Amino acid sequence: MAKAFKYGLKGITGFLEPTERELLRSLIDDVISMLEPAEREGQDPLAALIGLDMDVAEPTDRAVKRLLPNVVKDDGAASLEFRQLTERSLRETKIGALRAAALDLDKDEIVLTPEGAKHWSMALNDVRLVLAERLDIRDEEDAEHVHRMQDWSQAEDVESYLALVYNFTTWLQESLVQAMLQSMETRR
Amino acid sequence: MTISVAPGPDTREGIRTGTAESTDSLAAPDIPWNLVIWNDPVNLMSYVSYVFQSYFGYPESKANKLMMEVHKKGRSIVAHGSKEQVERHAVAMHGFGLWATVEKASGAAGTSGRGKGKRG
Repeated sequence: MAKAFKYGLKGITGFLEPTERELLRSLIDDVISMLEPAEREGQDPLAALIGLDMDVAEPTDRAVKRLLPNVVKDDGAASLEFRQLTERSLRETKIGALRAAALDLDKDEIVLTPEGAKHWSMALNDVRLVLAERLDIRDEEDAEHVHRMQDWSQAEDVESYLALVYNFTTWLQESLVQAMLQSMETRR
Repeated sequence: MTISVAPGPDTREGIRTGTAESTDSLAAPDIPWNLVIWNDPVNLMSYVSYVFQSYFGYPESKANKLMMEVHKKGRSIVAHGSKEQVERHAVAMHGFGLWATVEKASGAAGTSGRGKGKRG
């Protein structure tokens, strides 16, 4: 069984079983593959180098759109213009945090620096956003419904399995953020 | 937003600093853009508060107040600034997975979330 993250003398520490680490690793890999920008023919290499992407489009996949949302509400054109300038580097920021978290999954005991904890919280959040889209969580009531699924012996279909995975990542992120808030307080 | 599911430590009374007052006084009345954070049923309340504290440098009390406003009213203006400033904040918020948009401040600029966004 995983142990909740806690803040102590060694910093922020947590413990995950091998199967839990494998699960997290595959979730993280899934999100990374959703975020990796497609390499296109005839792309301007200089533009790509400085982070511009003039061929970018609003994502069609809802989960990807939740990870990379429009910056101006009800204004697709202004949002698209902003995407051309920023989306590539936003994808890279997210992939960076996800890869950093995946690297920490090599050992049972996880010991995090403040920067590592930040990457973990961002990675877990993106994993949860994607799972929530797959589970069709649209409002607080849906979230509450999913949250009631706590018993692994009830996992008989893909949806209930996903709900349990979502609840596990929620629990893990909550314990991590509580440890991070505690460490911020100590450093103040 | 969703509430905590793990029992958290019960010793979280933050140390009050002068940050809230000093950022408030920096907010010029004619600054024309707002950074808006929208509610969603996934992001943890604790995480949203952590992001407001760590990124903007807001004290715990102010971060929690803005977080509760997002949760209850569906949205909150959490920072003001030039278009470039709030756009930079929006990208950072998207990096954290928060749902952020920018908008031109209307005549009666937000009654809450005063204080120019500032890195802590």
